[in-house]
Amino acid sequence: MSYFERHVLETLIYLPMLAALILVFIPRPQKSLIQGISIASGLALLIMSLYAFIAFDYDGGARFQLQRSYPWLDQLGIAFALGIDGIAAPMVLLTGIVSLAGTIVAANIQRDNKDYYILLFLLIAGVYGTFVSMDLFFFFFFYELAIVPMYLLIGVWGSSSKFKDFDRPKEYGALKLVMMIVAASLLIWVVIIGIYVESGTGSFNIETIMATIDQPGRFSETFQSVMFLMTMVGFGLLAGMWPFHSWSPDGHVAAPTSVSMLHAGVLMKLGGFGIIRIGVMLLPDGLREWALLLFIIGTINVIYGAVSALAQHDLKYVIGYSSVSHMGYVFMGIASMTAVGLTGATLQMFAHGIMTALFFTIVGGIYERTHTRDTLVLNGLASKMKWGTAFFVIAGLASLGLPGLAGFVAELLVFIGAFQTQPILGALGVLGAAITAVYILRLVGRTFYGERDKKWDNLTDLTPREFIAATVLLVPLFYVGLYPQPLLRVIRPGVDAVLAGLGA
Amino acid sequence: MGIEEAWLIPTYGFVAFGVIALFGRYLPLQGKHLSIIAIVAAFVTFWPVLFDFVSLGVGEHHVPRVWFSAGEFSVGSGMIIDPLTIVMLALVTFVASLVQIYSLGYMRHAHNGHVADDPRIGWYFAVHSLFTAAMLTLVLADNLLLLYLAWELVGLCSYLLIGFWWERKSAVNASKKAFITTRVGDVGLLIGILILVTETGTFDISTIIHHVTAGDVSDGKTTLAAFLIFLGAMGKSAQFPLHVWLPDAMEGPTPVSALIHAATMVTAGVFLVARLLPIYEVAESAQMFVAVIGIITALMGATLALVVTDLKRMLAYSTMSHLGFMMLTLGAGGYTAAAFHLLMHGLSKAMLFLSAGSIMHSMHDETDMNKMGGLRHRMPITGAAFTIGALSLSGIAPLAAFWSKDEMLVAIKDGLNPIFVVLFLVAVVLSALYMARATYLVFFGPLKSENRAVHESPLLMSLPLVVLAVLSVFAGFIVLPLGGDYEGIGRFLFHGEHGHDFEIQPLWTIVSIVLATGSFALGIWLYKSSRSTVDTIRVQFSGVHRILVNRYYMDTMYQWIVDRVVLALGRAVALFDRTVVNDRGVNGAGLTVLGAGKRLRGHVTGLFADYGLAMGAGVTAIALYVWLRGA
Repeated sequence: MSYFERHVLETLIYLPMLAALILVFIPRPQKSLIQGISIASGLALLIMSLYAFIAFDYDGGARFQLQRSYPWLDQLGIAFALGIDGIAAPMVLLTGIVSLAGTIVAANIQRDNKDYYILLFLLIAGVYGTFVSMDLFFFFFFYELAIVPMYLLIGVWGSSSKFKDFDRPKEYGALKLVMMIVAASLLIWVVIIGIYVESGTGSFNIETIMATIDQPGRFSETFQSVMFLMTMVGFGLLAGMWPFHSWSPDGHVAAPTSVSMLHAGVLMKLGGFGIIRIGVMLLPDGLREWALLLFIIGTINVIYGAVSALAQHDLKYVIGYSSVSHMGYVFMGIASMTAVGLTGATLQMFAHGIMTALFFTIVGGIYERTHTRDTLVLNGLASKMKWGTAFFVIAGLASLGLPGLAGFVAELLVFIGAFQTQPILGALGVLGAAITAVYILRLVGRTFYGERDKKWDNLTDLTPREFIAATVLLVPLFYVGLYPQPLLRVIRPGVDAVLAGLGA
Repeated sequence: MGIEEAWLIPTYGFVAFGVIALFGRYLPLQGKHLSIIAIVAAFVTFWPVLFDFVSLGVGEHHVPRVWFSAGEFSVGSGMIIDPLTIVMLALVTFVASLVQIYSLGYMRHAHNGHVADDPRIGWYFAVHSLFTAAMLTLVLADNLLLLYLAWELVGLCSYLLIGFWWERKSAVNASKKAFITTRVGDVGLLIGILILVTETGTFDISTIIHHVTAGDVSDGKTTLAAFLIFLGAMGKSAQFPLHVWLPDAMEGPTPVSALIHAATMVTAGVFLVARLLPIYEVAESAQMFVAVIGIITALMGATLALVVTDLKRMLAYSTMSHLGFMMLTLGAGGYTAAAFHLLMHGLSKAMLFLSAGSIMHSMHDETDMNKMGGLRHRMPITGAAFTIGALSLSGIAPLAAFWSKDEMLVAIKDGLNPIFVVLFLVAVVLSALYMARATYLVFFGPLKSENRAVHESPLLMSLPLVVLAVLSVFAGFIVLPLGGDYEGIGRFLFHGEHGHDFEIQPLWTIVSIVLATGSFALGIWLYKSSRSTVDTIRVQFSGVHRILVNRYYMDTMYQWIVDRVVLALGRAVALFDRTVVNDRGVNGAGLTVLGAGKRLRGHVTGLFADYGLAMGAGVTAIALYVWLRGA
């Protein structure tokens, strides 16, 4: 391994922390310098992520690669151990892409952008840390690190909304989001301690623990069953699992654009990733026990989210509910317990992360210009925002599963997996994609097409910065849609290993 | 160059789309000529493919290629080249070339006194290129996934082109309606494909057909899959009850309608059923269903075309009716006849739409037939072309669609219950009547004084009309052995072991000629000499007339379902989500914890009460662990 390869994963964690640290010493009024450093860091992160992704040897390499371990608390078996498998590698790449787009979009923050960026980078460090940790203690540590800055980011820089018959102050959204996720993470902490003790290895290292799952007398079915259920709810909540999803739409409505991008783009994926990493890998018997429940909930997610989105006329609520709907496919793919389905679930996390971030980029841009997100008020924007419309429509097409864009490949793989195990639920999943078409086209028709109201006459199209951020997201959306092979071949060994654990 | 390079045919269009969409604004005339070059190149490339195909021997040729793989699934992007593909390639590249050339003239409007290109002309041609490219991919695809990809892309392009003038609310609604209606069918299509793929483990069409015909897939699953796939075809090919989008699709520019109706969109469903016909022959009840839906659609379209006064909508209903014929014929197992009619109808219908466009171009987008009349004096080329097209589609010998209609009649007679033959002949009579009515109303009779300024369209528009008119007269002769190795369409385009020769069945041919010619003449006579009879009939059957004018109330019903059921359900779920899941579930739980927190405040003084909770959870974890270990 080259020097670079040895250190790339830890760099992914240190780099955003370092960026945050540098920003601490830059005087508050130096706004453009702060922006410059932040965007440069975002770019560096994407390059490093891409490097890690490419360095991953999908063809016969070890399961966990680019490994690095530093002793930390030997007495308890805690080490700062890093490594990525075929499932973490695409997530790392996703984080890189969304981080760059997010730091670019965050440049529109006027007030205290120094503090904003510091918190944003802490969040990014937490996300990277979770994806690359092989030690469950640090996995949890970074998981919490990613969540806590959310409260301040939304509570301070967010926006309050008034609707016809209810209000959503930003403090409400922030509090609800953080409280629900933190509460759920308690379950995860219980599971981690439980697994640590049950394995009897005295180590928090995932690989070490995995080796003991099959040993007689350890990881009994009852244990796995109880633990899996807690894992499923604990991580599922962050992934928008019904009926614990309600933080998601309200959280997005309150959150500033770049936070929404990172949150829906990568943070929600920590939930799906967690279910695979801990639930599927360490508690395979538990998954088998609860697969049907997870499948049903996933299907409810898909349909319920899509149907709720039908009735919304706030752009962010629509996207918020569509996220609930799309994450349902991740659950369905996992619950299918097939190679294709799990591959689809992983790819769906990637695809959804990109397309939602793109949605929020454009929605944020519209909100900044018009100070509304109400589709009953917005109309005919296409004649003024040509590029904005184009990007939004493409994100919408990806969302409704148009072939040629990333979402389709992911959904298709999930469907194939689903049809092998639960064809009826799989068919309901396909129906969900049709409902998506209805709400997306209604939204596009109202907001962008039709006659334009006079008050939007002075609207301007995307700024170069917004344009670049959207393009950063658009490229992988098309690339994965047209040629998913580079991602699939990396995901493959990861999924194979997971399935081996399932005994499938 | 040979069939190995057939992938070039769609590729030109994709490239043209990419270049125009991204860089069109920097190109002269927004790059519209690039699109023309691309489609003509596709048409030119078609010929060496055809010659190579013939020299290799007529049959099914397979050019495999891998696109991506996941798990045990590998998805190809290869091609099947068989006579059906060849016919479709010819039709699509040819019609699309003419339509695009025609568009050069049509898409120039009068703007503040001077004539100029539509402001979004580049986008228009870009999507046109993509549309055609997608359709060409669809007909070449050797596997169901690539076919589905192209299928959806075709749907997307129709959405973009129907809604091309998106400032108009009606265009936006029509485009949305087209996309969503076809999408409803596509749910069935995708599920059907997934069933076949799950059963056979491959997307490859010939392998799937092989497995199904060999009996490797249970009858129940085959039938279910065939039904579901046909749902997709019903959406795209505007079959009852998913036909409602087709008439509204007239909101798009007229050349787009010509393209949709003749080459790139509605033909996709017929093509799909034809491609998978061996599966339908195994799933007999599904094939019967195809036939029944086909005849219902044919009659419904024909009756609606009889009363509608909008020229383009009349043509749309006519298309619907003819698509019904094709489905009916496929239901009867008439592979050759259906594909043959697809081709003949495509040529004639493209011309009829382009003629309608030619009229609209000089009549300020007027489409009401009652405001026309006598236009042949002003627009001789358009008039002649339209009349030829109308005669052809009415099945008047020896024009193009006469031959294919005759083939269809034989196929239906051989394959289905006589009741279908009777209903088919009723629909044939109706189609001659409505065509006669439209032709007379638009081109004959006295010229209205306000239409004195109407003039023939420019050469760019009339030339494609002339070409199509000539073909509408002579193309039908390909049914006959024309010498050399060519032994007629029945020996070129067939399915199963053997082709068949063209056969004249004198009795049936005479019946069909008499019925078609008679009804056409009757239609002309009614409108020319006996208008009062028409009015009397309308009054006598005012109830029927009202139902027809209201399109069998199907649009009303769908609107009701969307507003009162789908959206109401959406609102109900959203309200449930906010009041029950959120306010009761989340806020309620939150308030309970808050209440408990207040009571505990004496003990926990820290600001972060949840850290206290964390400790509590830690204790729970240990307790749980002890319990589990003990158990």
